[in-house]
Amino acid sequence: MEIIINNKTIEVNRELTVLEAAEENGIYIPKMCAHPELVPYGGCRLCIVEIEGRKGYPTSCTTLVEDGMIVRTDSNILQEMRINLVQLILSEHPSACLLCEDIDGCSLFQETIRKVGVTTGCRWCPKDKDCELQRVVESFGISELSLPGLYRDLPVEKYDPFFDRDYNLCIYCGRCVRICDEYRKSSVLALRQRGKHTTIGPSFDDNHTDAGCEYCGACVSVCPTGAMSEKSRKWWGNPDTYTSSVCPLCSINCEIQVLSLHNKIVGTIPPGNPHETAGELCVKGRFCLSEIVNRTERILEPQFRYPEGYGIVQWDEAIAKGSELLNATLPGRSAVFLSPDLSLEEYQAAKIFSEKVLKTDEITSSRLDSKQIACTKLAFDSVPLEKVKKADLIISFFLNGNYNYGPLTMAVKEAASSNIPYYQIGWIKDTTSRFARHNIIPAPGDEVKILDKIIECLENGTCDNDVIRELSDQLREIGNTVLIVGPWILSLTNFTIILDRIRKIISITGSKLYMPDPYGNLKGMLASVALKPLESVIEKINRGEIDLMYLIGDIPISARKKVKHVFYQSAFPAPEDLIPDVILPSTLWGERGGTWAGKNGSTVMLKQVAKAHDYALSHIEIFTRFASASKVKGANAAIKSKSGKVPVKLKPKMPDEFALASVRTTLVSPGKKLPFVIVQEKSPHVYMNLDLSIGIDGFSELVKPGHVQINVSDAKEMEIKDGDSVHISNARTEKTYQVVARKNIHRGVAYLTILNERSDFKCNPCYVNIRRADV
Amino acid sequence: MNQLNSSFTETLNNHLVEEGSLIPLLQKAQEQDGYISPEKVAQISEYLKMTESQVYGVASFYSQFRFTPPGEHSISVCLGTACHVNGGETLLNTIGRDLDVRPGESTSDKKFDLKRVACLGCCALAPVVKIDDDIYSKVNVVKLKEIISNYE
Repeated sequence: MEIIINNKTIEVNRELTVLEAAEENGIYIPKMCAHPELVPYGGCRLCIVEIEGRKGYPTSCTTLVEDGMIVRTDSNILQEMRINLVQLILSEHPSACLLCEDIDGCSLFQETIRKVGVTTGCRWCPKDKDCELQRVVESFGISELSLPGLYRDLPVEKYDPFFDRDYNLCIYCGRCVRICDEYRKSSVLALRQRGKHTTIGPSFDDNHTDAGCEYCGACVSVCPTGAMSEKSRKWWGNPDTYTSSVCPLCSINCEIQVLSLHNKIVGTIPPGNPHETAGELCVKGRFCLSEIVNRTERILEPQFRYPEGYGIVQWDEAIAKGSELLNATLPGRSAVFLSPDLSLEEYQAAKIFSEKVLKTDEITSSRLDSKQIACTKLAFDSVPLEKVKKADLIISFFLNGNYNYGPLTMAVKEAASSNIPYYQIGWIKDTTSRFARHNIIPAPGDEVKILDKIIECLENGTCDNDVIRELSDQLREIGNTVLIVGPWILSLTNFTIILDRIRKIISITGSKLYMPDPYGNLKGMLASVALKPLESVIEKINRGEIDLMYLIGDIPISARKKVKHVFYQSAFPAPEDLIPDVILPSTLWGERGGTWAGKNGSTVMLKQVAKAHDYALSHIEIFTRFASASKVKGANAAIKSKSGKVPVKLKPKMPDEFALASVRTTLVSPGKKLPFVIVQEKSPHVYMNLDLSIGIDGFSELVKPGHVQINVSDAKEMEIKDGDSVHISNARTEKTYQVVARKNIHRGVAYLTILNERSDFKCNPCYVNIRRADV
Repeated sequence: MNQLNSSFTETLNNHLVEEGSLIPLLQKAQEQDGYISPEKVAQISEYLKMTESQVYGVASFYSQFRFTPPGEHSISVCLGTACHVNGGETLLNTIGRDLDVRPGESTSDKKFDLKRVACLGCCALAPVVKIDDDIYSKVNVVKLKEIISNYE
């Protein structure tokens, strides 16, 4: 096809809108509501054009290119109409700065700034100099507003974590509503009411969390004005560097873009044009990462524990005193604990350091217990994420996709909304639940029975439950099936049996498996170092065969009392009861370069983006310093040379599962039937030894560890309000918790995030009673 | 309450799970309760597999739907052309101030609800105020207070 835009002949080979064709050929048409990820909307009408033979002024974003079209984008009449449109927008948008004659000087020196709590102009707006409206207004050179200015005087919404909303700056382009609906398929935001009374938000007075918001930040990314702004970098100004990187917070390892300013990480966004990509990130990659790195609670200097207490020491002294302890420890009598969040180079260095300096092969991680090993073995057979999108049937088991695994939940939603059958078995409503044909909420004990019934139905065709029959029929008939198993199963009492049944379903049906794991570089750790299962090392410690623990961003707290010395090397302070002998501050992700596990067994090299504080050293540097002080010949050089050699393709070596006496292979009885089912999930939101659900304020508001979450309607019936205390009890246990009433909990379910190794209720899930504490 | 809910479940089941069922269901919900309650929005959204935001977004677009329980007596103030020029706006403001109620909402004691209407079809009698099924013609502020006091 050939079209002519402004006398320029353009060849178009695809189905494009006039706007897209013009933009591809460098012809500027002003626009506010059009966005590459979104279906054309025609709301702002700034992109109007003249097309020969067509009546009026069609919007170029909604008009498809046709052969022989003759388009004008810049006639005087169009320009005049657009200026009128912009004036209409500006009459409701604080525009004092945009039209001010001092705009140039004020941009530099802020000579006319007024310090006020509300945004009355651009100089006091978080989006200043990064605003699409600003650019459009500047392109027209408007200097006077012919319409009266109206300030809507809406309250600024600051009560949700991670981003603020000031709808007084909103121009109602609807991008946020559309990206949430069309792209993320969460539909949290709606245009409410109409005409000049229109507002944006969830239903009634709901907050975003209850409306199902995952805090993915897509709405913030696409907002053309300052109406939506990130709390953490609101007043930083625009970043000076954009570095592409990989998120270290779970095994999906999403590609991200790190924004930094003066060597400080100010934010992380999806890759691509900052205004144009909404991305697939979850709240952790979008908002938490920069807060982790900028956390003020860091270990600030090396410390040594003297008999009379901790003393701050210089690095040289820390190394000298540490070496004394290391030298005094016999070979093989120390154990190394690694975090699954280090880079491949650091694992290499840790390996050589353990071998040559500590002279031990007792290397493990507190995350690598037998359950995790069994799970990880299965998880390594996971299909690539693309296969989930292309599956013909999806079943998720115990997936809690809220605040987690963004690309995975998006793949499920995308498939399910194109009519692929999706079934969800679990206790939490996440953003995928709405798309499920059936949500199966197992009663205690049923989480195994349901799987048994599916197997029975598959093998013998006998089935007494309609939903299970439907699901099994689909499983039998549809070949291309993906089973998604959430890491939540690690916290369940009948873990071993459930895992066994899932394996069985896979072997009967030939289904594929997708299993995300919550650790950023677990794969890399297993590929670099020969690890032992946690239990085998702990058993050695319990037998008194280990004198020294060297902890690298990992804290096996229960083992502390059994060893003489503890070296603690991390960025974040240790819990008080760890009582390390040597505390060594290290750098974090982003503060040093390194190689990480990427997609499908590949590796990704990352640049250093930010500068750590003066006393933090990289793990490798600390190892080399100890190696030099140890007088072991060549140790220093070996660490330096070998840490540079990392594999290009990762081949993880799995340790053998440790035969545990306590592994349950018989079904645990759920006990007497009571009105509520309590389910506990071990927090999967851990980076190094920092649990995001307590360490990051905004995130803790979402996850609420230590609080029990119940459905709002259940709470209402029991006359329980948010924050009330409740007694939760069964025959064995009674505990008191604060209540969080949420809409994303199924009725009859109580959900608890647990932080430590032991769960509060012995059986998970189990029946409980809930009653108000004051009754 | 439970009985009402179960009868609404029946209503839901009489409709197909598709977007087109949304408006009829909203209308049925309003018929049943006199307004659209958050509980009904939740029920409808669950049944139609939409989010509550989507349901509320559509419902709030139409002035036909109200989101607060109606009062015992319903006051409609006509703001059609004839009533408007004869002081309908003043009547509306007076009621709003005296009863402390905004158009589309109910008084805190649930005695009255107030709404503005475009035309009641009796322009010769302007300005007109309708309370429940009674029409009051050529109303002024003094007369209005008397009329309302009859309902209190």
